[in-house]
Amino acid sequence: MLGLSRFYGYVGRVLRVNLTTREVRVLELEKGLARAYLGGRGLNIVRLYYEVPPSTNPLSPENKLFFGVGPIVGTGFPLGARLNVSAKSPQTGILGDSNVGGHFAPELKYAGFDQVVIEGRSDRPIYLYIQNGVVEFRDASGLWGMKVKEAFEAIRREVGDHRVQIAVVGPAAENLVVFSGIFFNRSRPAARTGLGTVMASKGLKAVVVRGDGYVEVAKPELFERIVEEVELEVYSHEQYWPRRVMGTTRILMAANKIGILPGKHFTESEVPYAFEVSGEKLALRYNVKNRACFSCIVPCSRVFVVKRFDQCFISEGPEYEALAGMTVRIGNKDLDKALKAIEEVNDLGMDVISVSEVVSWTMELYSRGILSREEVGGLALEWGDMDVVMELLRDIAYRRGFGDVLADGVAIAAEKLGKGLDIAFHVKRLEMIQADPRGLKGYGLGFAVSSRGADHLRSEPFIELSDDPEVGLRMFGEPEATLRLGVRGKGRLVAYYENLCALVDSLGVCKNLAENMDILNYQKVAELVEAVTGMTLSVAEVGVIGERIVNLERIYDVREGVRREHDTLPNRFLREPLKVGASVGHVIELDLMLDEYYEVRGWDRKSGIPTAKKLEELGLTDVVEDLRCRGLLPG
Amino acid sequence: MHERVFSTSFSRIRVVKDDVVGMDFPIVCQQCVQAVCVSVCPTGALYVGDDGVVRLEKERCVRCGKCLDVCPYGAVFQDPVDGFPLICDLCGGRAVCVMKCPTNALSLYPLAEVVVRAEDLGKRYKLAITEYGKLLERWGIRVRVK
Repeated sequence: MLGLSRFYGYVGRVLRVNLTTREVRVLELEKGLARAYLGGRGLNIVRLYYEVPPSTNPLSPENKLFFGVGPIVGTGFPLGARLNVSAKSPQTGILGDSNVGGHFAPELKYAGFDQVVIEGRSDRPIYLYIQNGVVEFRDASGLWGMKVKEAFEAIRREVGDHRVQIAVVGPAAENLVVFSGIFFNRSRPAARTGLGTVMASKGLKAVVVRGDGYVEVAKPELFERIVEEVELEVYSHEQYWPRRVMGTTRILMAANKIGILPGKHFTESEVPYAFEVSGEKLALRYNVKNRACFSCIVPCSRVFVVKRFDQCFISEGPEYEALAGMTVRIGNKDLDKALKAIEEVNDLGMDVISVSEVVSWTMELYSRGILSREEVGGLALEWGDMDVVMELLRDIAYRRGFGDVLADGVAIAAEKLGKGLDIAFHVKRLEMIQADPRGLKGYGLGFAVSSRGADHLRSEPFIELSDDPEVGLRMFGEPEATLRLGVRGKGRLVAYYENLCALVDSLGVCKNLAENMDILNYQKVAELVEAVTGMTLSVAEVGVIGERIVNLERIYDVREGVRREHDTLPNRFLREPLKVGASVGHVIELDLMLDEYYEVRGWDRKSGIPTAKKLEELGLTDVVEDLRCRGLLPG
Repeated sequence: MHERVFSTSFSRIRVVKDDVVGMDFPIVCQQCVQAVCVSVCPTGALYVGDDGVVRLEKERCVRCGKCLDVCPYGAVFQDPVDGFPLICDLCGGRAVCVMKCPTNALSLYPLAEVVVRAEDLGKRYKLAITEYGKLLERWGIRVRVK
């Protein structure tokens, strides 16, 4: 029977599946690794670092795909149901990593594993059925080519169990569109950095899990007390109701107010029609009920119904990134059509942030006359023309016509066409999210230094939006740190929140709890880890875990060639001041902030490589050796 | 809660999640007054306690699984480890699922009377309510039309 492990919190087993040889190995989770990296993201990066050497082709059988779950997952801890997926990214060529909620992560644990490592490549389409510790390779040739939702239903029917949890890739991934994601619970993707592409390149259509195992905690009384404390704090938090009613879509109106919207490909930071496409409008007209991830007490996912003659449909979501991406960023004012487009992107299995960037990038080039109508395959890409967008989406997913160019991501597309290089908004080839860093400088720094490219969820310095100098003074000794237009102290701010993000991703807790609601701090995490796993970690030790993960991810990227010159932002944010909105006249003073950031991190200022001293401090001695052998150590 | 571990398979309340239309439906013991699971139990291991809650005497249970089959709500589950039936016992009156439910979708109250507001009903429902009333009366529940 499962769950007889000597581990508390963990199941204590790692599953290794080789798709080439159809070999399955079950290994014990190393206690030392669990202590140093907790689980989830930490465990994934440490294995990725040692097992996938630099210059591996991300789409080759040598690349590995990791599904990692933290010790908190499955214990019923509020907001603790996150799964971390990692691999080398085909989109960026560096670390590919994505975090997702839903019901898959706890089910994976109940099925008997803390981590699943998928290696090799299958010669024909298959899917994995992991049930109570037993792995079954099942034929998926009938599923190949199916859209995400169709595939979900088909698999549920085939395995004949409504309790299975499914991770599936869509047709975009099968066609090796570099920004395709892995989808869980129909509309929850681990979308960024093209992990779906890695999965599909292995001939793997889906991973299905189901388990009757259980998770035990070391100190149930202490755990129960912490849960009650956290629940009370969450319920009495000022953001509880807005989050429950609108989820992240509430950000759209707020972003409009402070002028950081990406309107028409970052040319309009404030739009007059914001309400028409906002989360408030969704809550008023569309939403019918809330749904939550496993054991979550902030049910922030919404089910909505669109009632319009020809396209009445029901679905779940969307989040802010998708909503702003399919409305403001491409100049679309029609919410119904935006929801339909988001639905389509999800169904095809793509990352909606990257899609919104490639589409809006093309639209800007088209509207400026740099791309002609013939060049884009006869599509009239006017701002906000959703019918054309829908067509383009399918073209991208199936790599047809001009879509084939865009399917490699905006960076490669710009290089291929030799056009629009200056307005291709990406960092390290990962497309920008829906926030203008000129009005959110901490976020801007976060995009620049993030280990997976332009993404806010690596640092999420949400506290910046509070605009409260007192907090900055108290936490970082610098009042400007928590002013969103401030510059000084941002290095400290971003480094702090990066560490915290890495920590909670490794635990398996949602960032809503740690960053946005600011409820989990190191003190509480230390208590929680003790209650759940029985490992006694001091507050300082817990603080170092996040830092260790961030540094290891950095080294992984450094090995792939990332240096300081890659820690930058697109030109428009560095040079062109904002023209309208509450942040008018601002550019982002990146170099100043970067210097401070490297200083705080203990990384070499010139190259952006972590110093040997820092790495040794974090206990990464063999990594230092590795760097020395490769001649990458600074100084 | 009863086994002091965390798992959905040991849970006595389960949720059927329909991702297609976004509906979630809890499946839990409906506290039937004439509990079928009790009446089919061959060894008398299942019995109705003084408080009207179905209880299990583990020593007498032979794990035949009949109760699983006959429950009209599918609310009897099997312990994946030892095979005993799992039936909600309302946690002795302090139902944890109800206390923890963040949206108050679950509630626990003694069902003695159902009040139906007359103005909410059209003519068509008059008959349905009368029939409903007759049905419930047999279980000792009164339906009052206000």
